[in-house]
Amino acid sequence: MKLLVCVSKTPDTTAKIAFKDNNSAFEEDGVQFIMNPYDEWYALVRALEVKEAVGGSVTIINVGPAANDTIIRKGLAIGADSAVRIDANPQSAMFVARQIAEYAKGEDFDAIFVGKETIDHNGSEVGAMVAELLDQPYISFANHLELDGKVATISREIEGGVEVAELEVPFVLSAAKGLAEQRIPNMRGIMMAKRKPLKVVPPTAFEDQAVVVSYELPPAKAAVKMVDPENLDELVRLLHEEAKVI
Amino acid sequence: MADQYVSVRNLRFLLHEVFKVSELSRFEHYEHYDREAADMTIDASKQLSDKLLFPILTEMDRNKAYFSEGSVKVHPKLRSVIKNIAEGGWISAHNTFEQGGQQMPLTLLNAALFIMYAANGNAAAYAFLTQGAANLLQSFGSEELKSAFIPKMYSGDWQGTMALTEPQAGSSLYVLLSTAEPTEEGHYKITGQKIYISGGDHEAVDNVVHLLLARIKGAPAGTKGISLFVVPKLREENGALVSNDVSTAGIYGKMGQKGYVAAHLMLGEGSDCRGYLVGQPHMGLRYMFQMMNEARIGTGLMAAATASGAYYASLQYTQERAQGRPPSSKDLTQPPVLIIEHADVRRMLLFQKAVVEGSKSLLLQCSYYADLEMVASGEDKQKAHLLLELLTPIAKSYPAEMGIRSVSEGMQCLGGAGYCDDFPLEQYYRDIRVNSIYEGTTTIHGMDLLGRKVLMQDGRAMKLFAAEVEKVIQEALKEEALRPFAGKLGQAIKDLGKTTYHLVGLAQQESPEVFLADATLYLDFFSLVTIGWQWLLQGVHAQRGLATATADYDRHFYVG
Repeated sequence: MKLLVCVSKTPDTTAKIAFKDNNSAFEEDGVQFIMNPYDEWYALVRALEVKEAVGGSVTIINVGPAANDTIIRKGLAIGADSAVRIDANPQSAMFVARQIAEYAKGEDFDAIFVGKETIDHNGSEVGAMVAELLDQPYISFANHLELDGKVATISREIEGGVEVAELEVPFVLSAAKGLAEQRIPNMRGIMMAKRKPLKVVPPTAFEDQAVVVSYELPPAKAAVKMVDPENLDELVRLLHEEAKVI
Repeated sequence: MADQYVSVRNLRFLLHEVFKVSELSRFEHYEHYDREAADMTIDASKQLSDKLLFPILTEMDRNKAYFSEGSVKVHPKLRSVIKNIAEGGWISAHNTFEQGGQQMPLTLLNAALFIMYAANGNAAAYAFLTQGAANLLQSFGSEELKSAFIPKMYSGDWQGTMALTEPQAGSSLYVLLSTAEPTEEGHYKITGQKIYISGGDHEAVDNVVHLLLARIKGAPAGTKGISLFVVPKLREENGALVSNDVSTAGIYGKMGQKGYVAAHLMLGEGSDCRGYLVGQPHMGLRYMFQMMNEARIGTGLMAAATASGAYYASLQYTQERAQGRPPSSKDLTQPPVLIIEHADVRRMLLFQKAVVEGSKSLLLQCSYYADLEMVASGEDKQKAHLLLELLTPIAKSYPAEMGIRSVSEGMQCLGGAGYCDDFPLEQYYRDIRVNSIYEGTTTIHGMDLLGRKVLMQDGRAMKLFAAEVEKVIQEALKEEALRPFAGKLGQAIKDLGKTTYHLVGLAQQESPEVFLADATLYLDFFSLVTIGWQWLLQGVHAQRGLATATADYDRHFYVG
């Protein structure tokens, strides 16, 4: 089974978020970056489990500059066999999807795994776009995957229940919590990661049709309101009119 | 429960900016460890700690280990914790590739270990106790012993321990009574008892391997008659594990570290306890000192890491709890301010930070000397050896002693809440207390420093230390902000020299009792100078970082 896992670089969950260039770009200076947890914990680990069960290979792919090699090496340390980096600054979900699809076209992957979303933009777009560009079936938010030969049975949570789909390879899947359990790189994996191949590929020309105009932070949290314990009417009013929870 | 227990940013600062750990890759033995590998190692330790260790810190205290029906019950998740640490390659990480390790620099390994100890030292200690025992076998055991025991220890299936103490032989190991009688089959029959054996028996592993000191029958009296043996709880016979006549009389009800077992062991009550000699007869104590020196650095790490957990728990509380008004505010209608805004609360927090980060720096400095001692050659190797020997008593005792005061200040920040078990401070306070007793009490280390280490090779280690301090002072004098501190440290190192000269003079004029009477106070003074040196070293690198930092996040870090 030849598998491709798409990985993104995202700010660490504790990073302070700020913008630059008239609020049109994220301020990366001083920010600690990590591999997007949905890519690492679920997409990559489930792909590795499939490879361990039926054989084959796992390649990880990232669209980004050389600074992203650190998170790519982590993927190799966790167990991926090889990596590809498309050497370009990711400008939009469509840009990233186009680069991944162009690379995947010539490689005959049996399945492509992505995380269900990145924890910075929360777009959930790249997987679907890659599937469309490759004309392959797409299952989003997968939390269970079984493979029997070329046939995959994939479950995903839907409102009030579970949807189960059956399809043949090749397909694209976006991984949600439950698909696998986080793996921590071991010391041997960290040593081996340096010796595994990381291929750098130039990007395909593509003109983005969407341009980010600006970002803004959510409004600051309001200060805590102290309510006199004797004044229950005021408490009820605040919960009803302002918090709108009753 | 607090959200944070360690500063990874501070560890990265120490590793990359202060000690430049990746420069160790200039030595062939460590050639694989560049900055990227170091960062991945630290991240892996943090992930493991967040996922497995920190979540059961309080649970292990509330559900303490207990002895029932002949076996020691521990937290149900402990087996998987030990197994995960082993499968991560942490137990053997420092060993050579041929030995199944990854040749990881001790500086990096101990930084990673600091994170695990800060998350939950009571769980991580089981695995790293095994590391020490396995290293002892690697160094001195026969190939047969190594292949029989080490793979199962590295895999986390078998626990390793160091079994020294007996009821009459604590600090005075020369009076130990456990005996080893040679047999025609080649093994020894062991009889005796051992007390306070950490990890000595528990159900989270399939077997326990004791590296045990005993006296071969007819051996000379005193420390020269002590030999080292491997004594497993279960021994292998015809492919099966059978009892080796090592039984547990009970475990100790400790003040803290309640999830970390200390057992009382009975050996050979049925005359069927087999021990296997490690190395040469009568060399046991010398061999054991290798493990004890590693364990002393480990104890310092455990203490500093526990204080780190307490510091971050108290820091979080002071940023959430509002009480009182600033002294200048007379308006009673104003809401109370967060207690971190009060000067004395800040003093208590800064005191903790000074102890935690000063200790951490010294421990990594010693680890760096240990690395150089192993891979450097000639004068550099000898220098690293002497500095490590000199500073080990301080690296063990300062974090242990000052860590207690540090956690106490952390508890004070919480007021009454700190004394109650709704918050983790009371557990940290109980847990940290033992570190000044483990692996030689503070008194023993004071006497070791003054009576042995300072005098070593006609005071050469002491002169090397003074030169290292002077080097940092000269660097600090180039930074305007650090000049006052450089001046103070310069005076302190002179005072330390005078004090040492005076005490050594007493040794020649008076009895050893008079010479060593104030050894602990001397250790205290020496420790303060040493930590001052480490803080000035950090200050030099923080100033350099500040000069080039572009992000607010980095500037805030360097300013402190």
